[in-house]
Amino acid sequence: MKELQDLARKLLSEGTVKVVIGYEEGPRGARAAFITDPEQADPLIFDTRCVQNLAAYLNPRRKQIATLGKPAVVVKGCDARSVAGLIRENQIARDSVVIIAMQCGGVLENPDVAGELTSEAVSTRCGGCDVCEPKLFDHYIKSATAKTPPVNPKRTEQLAALAKMTPTERWNFWSEEFSRCIRCHACREACPMCFCVQCTAEKGTPLWIDAAATPRANRAWQTMRVLHQAGRCVDCLECERACPEHIPLGLLARYVADSVERRFEYKAGDDPSVPAPMGIYRTDDDEELIR
Amino acid sequence: MTQRFLSHADLTALVAELVAAKTRVIAPVRAKDDPEQLDYSPIQKLEEATFGTRLPRRSMKEFFLPVTEVLLRYQQTKEGVEIKATPTEAPPIVIFSATPCDASGLDVVDKVMSWDYQDELWFGRRKAATVVSFLCTAMDAVCFCTAVGLGPDSIQGSDVLLVPVEGGYLANVITPKGEALLKGKGKAEVPAGAEASAAAAQGEARKKVEANLPKIPAEFASWLAKNFDHPLWKTISLRCHGCGACASVCPTCHCFDIVDEHDSSTEGARRRNWDSCQTSKFTLHASGHNPRGSQNERFRQRIQHKFSIYPTKFGEILCTGCGRCARTCPGGMDLPTIIGELMTLAKTQPEGSSL
Repeated sequence: MKELQDLARKLLSEGTVKVVIGYEEGPRGARAAFITDPEQADPLIFDTRCVQNLAAYLNPRRKQIATLGKPAVVVKGCDARSVAGLIRENQIARDSVVIIAMQCGGVLENPDVAGELTSEAVSTRCGGCDVCEPKLFDHYIKSATAKTPPVNPKRTEQLAALAKMTPTERWNFWSEEFSRCIRCHACREACPMCFCVQCTAEKGTPLWIDAAATPRANRAWQTMRVLHQAGRCVDCLECERACPEHIPLGLLARYVADSVERRFEYKAGDDPSVPAPMGIYRTDDDEELIR
Repeated sequence: MTQRFLSHADLTALVAELVAAKTRVIAPVRAKDDPEQLDYSPIQKLEEATFGTRLPRRSMKEFFLPVTEVLLRYQQTKEGVEIKATPTEAPPIVIFSATPCDASGLDVVDKVMSWDYQDELWFGRRKAATVVSFLCTAMDAVCFCTAVGLGPDSIQGSDVLLVPVEGGYLANVITPKGEALLKGKGKAEVPAGAEASAAAAQGEARKKVEANLPKIPAEFASWLAKNFDHPLWKTISLRCHGCGACASVCPTCHCFDIVDEHDSSTEGARRRNWDSCQTSKFTLHASGHNPRGSQNERFRQRIQHKFSIYPTKFGEILCTGCGRCARTCPGGMDLPTIIGELMTLAKTQPEGSSL
């Protein structure tokens, strides 16, 4: 931890950045910290409870953060993919942020219950992690204890169950889940990649999606959102953590991400120079429709 | 207020009787997706309910102010436009084992719903509902009901408050509605010692919550109003995403948006939907200007409205201290801690910031 705190102190006192966005011990577990004073860097921590994807604070819609000045952000390898996404989609410039990447051995599914990272306790998103050693960073802080995280079988089982369903069964499954949606759009607001100035959900002329939480509108909203996330979502689960109705939005996004991977051989990664399948136009595209 | 004694069998029979009479009975039930959690859901018999083990995930306001509701339907006809208003009378409903914080939330929101306009739909549902609350002993470190002047045994907004005692429940009958519900149920004679043991349980429950946050002083409201431009608002909500999940789970957040939505080219509905001041669109003007341009201003609004504007206007804090906002926040915003810090600031800077 001292290495991280020293680095934060150095970046702030040199004036390289105005704020270091990291994790601190909050009144109820780890939470985001915004360190602006080099003398105040001691609270910075990093452990298995640091679940939140802090890259969300780089999203240009977080105006309260932007006014603080140039940030440094503490990321896990998986979160670095969100930073890459924001760079890839021209929301932030690579040199507008200092990336402090932590070597990570997985985080907890439920950070309120601290404990060992067993296959039951580990976050579903850590399974098969290929970015425990991040590649996108300005500073890399290694860990002596981080190991490859165990795999939580929950997600694999859920995905397999979904894949087994007929399209009608799948439609019914999601219709049932979406019936709880209250259209608060917390999923969107918490998402690092939802940065549209005006969301389709709020287009009134013409009206694309009813504002009311009706089955029809809920399905339209959730389907629209997850399709806009195809090839962009990095499975950080911020949407699911924000959802006050506990809809398994992470599972939905992961299912779509897997489809993109299967069909386009593309996974939202941490190299901002690799374009996303839905973000490019090529005259030699295989698909006539697009060409 | 009168008291009665009910055995568990009496309660079971009461629920069965209500259900048989087609009264909708709502109680905390284990959540389908997470058996550790509770949701207020319809029950057919008492065994389906889980009493007092923990606070349900969401408040029960959706039974009084639905997430979305039709205010009127309109249809274009040859003669003009035909309008059908929604009936303002609601079918009977009994909320069983509500937490006192959720019950009092209804009473707090009544004030704004009857202020410049009597909200017929809200009061139609209020009139049709009987609220049986249950002494809360499931408090955790985020609860602060006593700080806002309520408590785990608060009777505000409840028609009956049940307190578990040996062999059954001591029922505090608070309103005529409560009286009607329990007429002839259980016994009018309360067993010896029940009252004392209930009082002891209530005292113990109160003490537990009181340890979390001191009572908010009356002058806090005016201190907040005076410090609308205090620099603290620039740093207090940095970690807030503005997702509004806090408002969705809050028993007192009651803001709504009214929209006309077409179901076909000739008919449609005017609906009212939940809304939240925590999202940027809430105050976005048609011109593109937003008077609350960043989350700092939006979070300030949340605090000012709950702890200054509402108490000044209606004499009550627009918060029941249930702590759900803190439990649900994906960004780790923690209202009891924030209020505690603000109270300390109010003490150390009674006149506010010298800016």
